[in-house]
Amino acid sequence: MFPRVSAVLPFRPLSRLPLCSAGPEAAAATVVPLASPHGTVRTKSNIQRYFGTNSVIYSKKGDKSVANCEISKETENQQSIKENKKKDLVNIIKGMKVELSTVNVQTTKPPNRGQLRSLEAAIGRLQKSPKDAPQKSKSLSPELVAAAAAVADSFPFDKQTTKSELLRQLRQHEEDWKAQKDGEKPKISFSNIISDMKVARSSTVRASTRPVHQIQFDEGADDFVDREKTADLRKSFRKNIYKGKRLNIFELKAVTEEAPETEAAPSLWDVEFAKQLAAVTEQPFENGFEEMIQWTKEGKLWEFPINNEAGFKA
Amino acid sequence: MASLASARWLRVSRGLCVPLTARWTGPCGRSPSSRFYSGSAAVPKVEGADIAGTEEVVIPKKKTWDKVAVLQALASTVHRDTTAAPYAFQDDPYLIPTSSVESHSFLLAKKSGENAAKFIINSYPKYFQKDIAEPHIPCLMPEYFEPQIEEISEAALQERIKLKKVKASVDIFDQLLQAGTTVSLETTNSLLDLLCYYGNQEPSTNYNFQQQEQSEELEEAAEEGDHVKSKKAAGHQLRVIWRAKNHAERIFALMPEKNAHSYCTMIRGMVKHRAHTQALSLYTELLNNRLRADVHTFNSLIEATALVVNEKFEEKWNNILDLLKQMVAQNVKPNLQTFNTILKCLRRFYAFGKLPALQTFREMKAVGIEPSLATYHYIIQLFYQHESPSKGSSLIIYDIMDEIMGKKFSPQDPDDDMFFQSAMRVCSSLRDLELAYQVHGLLNTGDNRKFIGPDPRRNFYYSKFFSLLCLMEQIDVTLKWYKDLIPSVFFPHSQTLIDLLQALDVANRLEMIPQIWKDSKEYGHTYRSDLKEEILMLMARDQHPPELQAAFADCAADIKSTYESQDARQTAPEWPASSLNYIAILFLRAGRTQEAWKMLGLFRKHNKIPRNELLNEFMDSAKASSSPAQAIEVVNLANSFSLPICEGLTQRLIADFSLSQEQKEALGDLTTMTSDSDSDSDSNISEGK
Repeated sequence: MFPRVSAVLPFRPLSRLPLCSAGPEAAAATVVPLASPHGTVRTKSNIQRYFGTNSVIYSKKGDKSVANCEISKETENQQSIKENKKKDLVNIIKGMKVELSTVNVQTTKPPNRGQLRSLEAAIGRLQKSPKDAPQKSKSLSPELVAAAAAVADSFPFDKQTTKSELLRQLRQHEEDWKAQKDGEKPKISFSNIISDMKVARSSTVRASTRPVHQIQFDEGADDFVDREKTADLRKSFRKNIYKGKRLNIFELKAVTEEAPETEAAPSLWDVEFAKQLAAVTEQPFENGFEEMIQWTKEGKLWEFPINNEAGFKA
Repeated sequence: MASLASARWLRVSRGLCVPLTARWTGPCGRSPSSRFYSGSAAVPKVEGADIAGTEEVVIPKKKTWDKVAVLQALASTVHRDTTAAPYAFQDDPYLIPTSSVESHSFLLAKKSGENAAKFIINSYPKYFQKDIAEPHIPCLMPEYFEPQIEEISEAALQERIKLKKVKASVDIFDQLLQAGTTVSLETTNSLLDLLCYYGNQEPSTNYNFQQQEQSEELEEAAEEGDHVKSKKAAGHQLRVIWRAKNHAERIFALMPEKNAHSYCTMIRGMVKHRAHTQALSLYTELLNNRLRADVHTFNSLIEATALVVNEKFEEKWNNILDLLKQMVAQNVKPNLQTFNTILKCLRRFYAFGKLPALQTFREMKAVGIEPSLATYHYIIQLFYQHESPSKGSSLIIYDIMDEIMGKKFSPQDPDDDMFFQSAMRVCSSLRDLELAYQVHGLLNTGDNRKFIGPDPRRNFYYSKFFSLLCLMEQIDVTLKWYKDLIPSVFFPHSQTLIDLLQALDVANRLEMIPQIWKDSKEYGHTYRSDLKEEILMLMARDQHPPELQAAFADCAADIKSTYESQDARQTAPEWPASSLNYIAILFLRAGRTQEAWKMLGLFRKHNKIPRNELLNEFMDSAKASSSPAQAIEVVNLANSFSLPICEGLTQRLIADFSLSQEQKEALGDLTTMTSDSDSDSDSNISEGK
């Protein structure tokens, strides 16, 4: 956590967001508006989601008044941490900045999830690099412990309790972070985002069909009473099939104007299609006259009225 | 003209030439005086007109009549006879079908006879050369299916293509290529057409009605069951699949130059035979060669896009929209088939396809293409996919019907004949009779009745319609429809008749039941046990006035005889217990006690258990006829089945009847036995619990 906070330092004068919710996500979040000043609403909600989850994580810390002070105190302790770690973090956060700027481009689910995963991986790496044991053990890294001890020392309060409190908070934070990293957290946040976005996008669908679905008239029960009601309802919901958005792909004049096309002889496809069409309306004869009509068309029967010279002058 | 001039001249010199003017008036038939008044007024220059008259006779133009006009006028005077069999079945009266199965085999037999005759004529043309018809009737002469040209030339290839001989054409094409002669692009294209349309196989000659039947069964299975799965499962047997490296692809690859037609026909063939991804890749090749596809090819591509597996609905829809935009970019006009294909593919997208379908429909109207019945059919199928209306079904069917009421349609799409079936299915599931009447009205508008489709679809339509009538309409109107539709339009299923019986029950018109039974026998439902049980149950449920009871008893006797004849045919006789009960009750109530007592014997024979009410009624009847022997018989029967009621019966027997001594002793044995068996049965029951 401390290495992460160190990354906040160089960006602090530029950040617009309050520092009390510092953290990797905040770092990333502060980064994002810098990278893309035209951040869309969706990414902002992204950020807010992060803040939301962050507040869950950091609420325990936020209760304490020491939290705010502690960060500034922590920055003083950064000197004790190795330089290369800081450089690693800076690089990684720069990488995070670049990756997150692409979040603005698409709002569909997979890229976001990918981004979050890469973020998590980066954070996981950050988290894991100082640690020696990657299991869910309660051991904290010695640097963290040392830093906590230093903080506790610098406070005028009871050092032991402060130190134990800090360590406890750290441990809990790491456990939470681990649990949520492995668990449902990304899905929760993103599915919330995505579901919100989807609702906004397809609201036209819902709006047009909801009134329809709300009319749960049951025809089976009471026909005559409902008939007038449904007729009125129908008139008021006339928009179903004829009004509303269309595809807007074709233009009327483009379709109706007669393009000069070379008329080729009808190919096999056309001939067979015409035969299929003719077969659609084939029905058995209703009476003898229809049968005779069919025979006349085939040429098997003379035409009426009888023309004595039929077929002579071909 | 000369006559006019001379007439004028004659008028001028009137006094001298009266006889002459009289002569001139002869042919016109008018008095000369009137002509003088008109003088030299302008005379209409119509041939044969009255020269100086004020009235003009206008000879109308000569009408030309269509060659079938007289027959059509006569046909319009003939309406359907509801008491006669349909015209197609009128041949030998003995063979007139009386059930749907028989009618199906009748029509098949007729058609196969025609095909057999044609086959013989075409196989042995030399025996059928005599032509006595004046004028010559070409369609009765034998057709020539053998190619005439023997040498290897392009003309021979064209002939074989025309005769649709796939293998022979390919052989000649190969020989031509080996000989080094180049085949023209047109001929190659028509060869490709042939290969692609038939999927590199010979066109089957028995194509007509068997193919149609199988596709009918396919469609019915698809309609009633799961759409996509059954179509895929059954389609494998029928449809030809495009194999890789078949003749079409080979010839396509050999062609030195390909024009748009070559690509288009290949794409269409691939899609027809379900090689969708290949079709799409060939399309990109077409685009790379800067050629322009025609509208039919685009229609096939839309279908291919929708049928590609492993893609989400959204992606497929976006791909389809891309294709449409490319159509606009290439200046290809969409036609009705374009939109119908889109709607047909959207059906597979289930709920996702609803909004795109509406957008497509509005686009179609905006562009000015008039939707056909197939369009409405696809929309209905999409919006009413599930049978149950409980989920809040759409109101679209009402909009559609309001729009197309009174319109006359002409065939524009091969799926036009599916509209009425799906519309009636929706009406039936919505239980809306008004809508059904609207649909039926549309069917009877103009020539729309041609769109009812082949036999199975027509039967489905009318079955649903009539069931809806039974359910929702008043009984008198229903009976009128019954007389109108059955059997001249369709033969009812047993379920339809059961619906009708229930309608009669609701309306308290049970006196029609014997008539319905007689009709059922005519329509081939003599041996349907569910129908017979329903009839018997309705008759036996309540008490009725005596004449009605007598009629019911006759009906029951008839049904009994059908069961007996069924027995005679089968080795394992099958009398349902309920039928036995009902028949016995009906006999008793009508006073036919002899037959009723015979029924008791039947119970024992078929090992079926009589009901308690029946046994009580038998006791009543025994008491009424004061015959203790009969009463004892009843008790014996109850005893043999170990019925719990036996106790009660025995007591009643003792109480009501005066028994002789032996009878009492026999009864005493019986009671001990029954008490033993009762206790046994009681203990059994308690143990069983």
